[in-house]
Amino acid sequence: MDDNFTLKWNRSNESVPNVTFSADYQMSEMNNWIQLPGCQYVADTECTFSFLKLNVLDEITLRIRAERGNSTSAWYIVDSFIPFLKAQIGPPEVHLEAEDKAVKINISPPGKQMWSMDRSRFIYSVVIWENSARTEERTETVYPRDMIYKLSPETTYCLKVRAELPLQKKVGVYSAVHCVNTTAENKLPPPENIEVDAANQNYVLKWDYAFANVTFQAQWLYGYLKQFPEDHSNKWKQIPGCVHVRTTQCVFPQRAFPDRVYFLRVQASDGNSTSLWSEEKEFRSEAQTVILPPVLNVKTTSHALHAYVGASREPVDLHRPLIYEIRFWENASSAESRILQEQTDFTFPNLKPLTVYCFKARAHLLGEKWNQSSDFSDVVCEKTKPGATSRTWLVAGICVLVVSVPVAVYIVKGLLRCLNYVFFPSPKPPSSIDEYFSEQPLKNLLLSPSEERTERCFIIEDVRSMTVLEEAKGTGGDLRAYHSPTLLLLGEPPAETQHPLSRGLPTSVSLCRKRIATVFGGISRPFPAIADGEAGPGVPL
Amino acid sequence: MINRCILQIALLLCFSTTALSMSYNSLQIQLWHGSLTCAKLLLQLNGTTEDCLNERINFKVPKEIKEPQQLQKEDTTLVIFEMLNNIFDIFRKNFSSTGWNETLVENLLGETHLQIHHLKSKINKKVTLESIRMNLRLKSYYWRIMDYLETKQYSNCAWKIVQLEIFRNFSFIIMLIDYL
Repeated sequence: MDDNFTLKWNRSNESVPNVTFSADYQMSEMNNWIQLPGCQYVADTECTFSFLKLNVLDEITLRIRAERGNSTSAWYIVDSFIPFLKAQIGPPEVHLEAEDKAVKINISPPGKQMWSMDRSRFIYSVVIWENSARTEERTETVYPRDMIYKLSPETTYCLKVRAELPLQKKVGVYSAVHCVNTTAENKLPPPENIEVDAANQNYVLKWDYAFANVTFQAQWLYGYLKQFPEDHSNKWKQIPGCVHVRTTQCVFPQRAFPDRVYFLRVQASDGNSTSLWSEEKEFRSEAQTVILPPVLNVKTTSHALHAYVGASREPVDLHRPLIYEIRFWENASSAESRILQEQTDFTFPNLKPLTVYCFKARAHLLGEKWNQSSDFSDVVCEKTKPGATSRTWLVAGICVLVVSVPVAVYIVKGLLRCLNYVFFPSPKPPSSIDEYFSEQPLKNLLLSPSEERTERCFIIEDVRSMTVLEEAKGTGGDLRAYHSPTLLLLGEPPAETQHPLSRGLPTSVSLCRKRIATVFGGISRPFPAIADGEAGPGVPL
Repeated sequence: MINRCILQIALLLCFSTTALSMSYNSLQIQLWHGSLTCAKLLLQLNGTTEDCLNERINFKVPKEIKEPQQLQKEDTTLVIFEMLNNIFDIFRKNFSSTGWNETLVENLLGETHLQIHHLKSKINKKVTLESIRMNLRLKSYYWRIMDYLETKQYSNCAWKIVQLEIFRNFSFIIMLIDYL
């Protein structure tokens, strides 16, 4: 229990007299055994020792042996243990001071060494009852120096207290029962129902009081001081602006109380006497700052609408997160929807396509007690893009177009070719002619009109006038008539380069004739032969 | 080309998950602000100057603080709670030899107490054997610090060493907040 441990053992042989026992201990990192004070040469079968000066969080091993005279038994080693884990919380010390409707309680934590690290962590549980009526018990959790309120004056109350360490799963033993008589009722009651509100940059402390013509004063205390069993009655300080006030409220600046936990109390005074202090009210200060409306940006993508909110300027060191709210509506209607979230990126997926939507945003600061909101930002309107289904149609349409265009081009080309063939035939003979005309010179003549060679025909009609006729250069059969009294004939000069005059007339004439037959088309139509010698005066062609 | 696309998508996913995880809840934000304020207050504690490098000692920070990856979320809350309570207890001790500004220390205590106040409601009341043992390891670490202070009779140098160690503690707490 607490710092004191009791070691008990059994004797193996009860009848042997003059046997004493001694115990040693060893801490976890030690190599030698140290004598356990208070457990040397004990005649009893138990001894008590304390853990002062030792680290109670460290593992300890004990050993014990019996002695008689000079002979000793073997050491019996006890299983090692950690004192802190094994210890039980003992009863705390309690002092009471009675008021008329409250009792001031003063608890001293149990243990010196064992609980030295947890002294401020104890949770004290008080059971209080009226001495006369035991059935009406009340259990309360109190600070080490606290008040128990809501009691009746001039009554005897009894209570018992125990200390607990919930995180170690330890529940202590109840203290002894202490009783106290409450005093007679005071003339001036203390103020009641203390409340704190925030307004602008100030806090407003309000309370209720039944009587008039009194002044009040308010005090504050650092919240953490309540954790300690030490006396803090001299640590209460005056709240600025709340001394000798006549109204049941007072105002003090938020600047004076940075965000912490405090306790507040109020006292009334009528000049002659002062009331007792009111109930101590725990006050968690939350500085209010001006929140500017956020900056709103709206962007449309093909699938949805995105909105981004940003702080218009760097906010003051806020210990609380900002929540953003966006309200939006269709431009035509007035039905508003809203989204609240902590992230600054908003997505609106299920909006109607090709519609104008309008947005406005504001920020909320949520605190433990008070919430603050900024004003709304400027309204931003955006038109949504075409919906996803029409988009797929669009994509499909584009694909169809991409495929159909070359197909159409191909078809049109084919048509044009047809038209060309029908209306603008090509002078080029079809390639099947090759089958029929295998002779090279003929082929040359047929298939290459552009290369029509100039043929010189020499017709000698009479010796007197000899005219050399020439065909115009080949442009596809363009015949030019030269003014000549003689017959216009075309033809290739014969292979012999001899002047036809030298060879005689009939040879040259027959050659020219051949040429005429071929040139004047009609492959199938022979030209009526011009009889030899029948060539009369020039036949115009 | 496809590889490049996949790489870009993978990078985007990575960044988006880290971006998502960067959104803290209100407890984390409050703890973070509080720890920063406390660390700043610690740095402002300037007292009598003295060369104390010889007195450095390894307090053996427990693995729960140094390697919080293995902890569960409820355990992290417990760890931070225990750390803050012990830091609170340490600065209640007698520091008159240091010449520190008392108002600063009061502010430090008040700010630490506020964090404890926040955490109290979030503590999981379920206590396991493992959590008790973990609590014991944390307590031993702080016991070593307080024992050191007591052995050195709360001298200026001893407090300077402890001030440095507690500053380290707050940086550990800020790291632990990520695991909440």
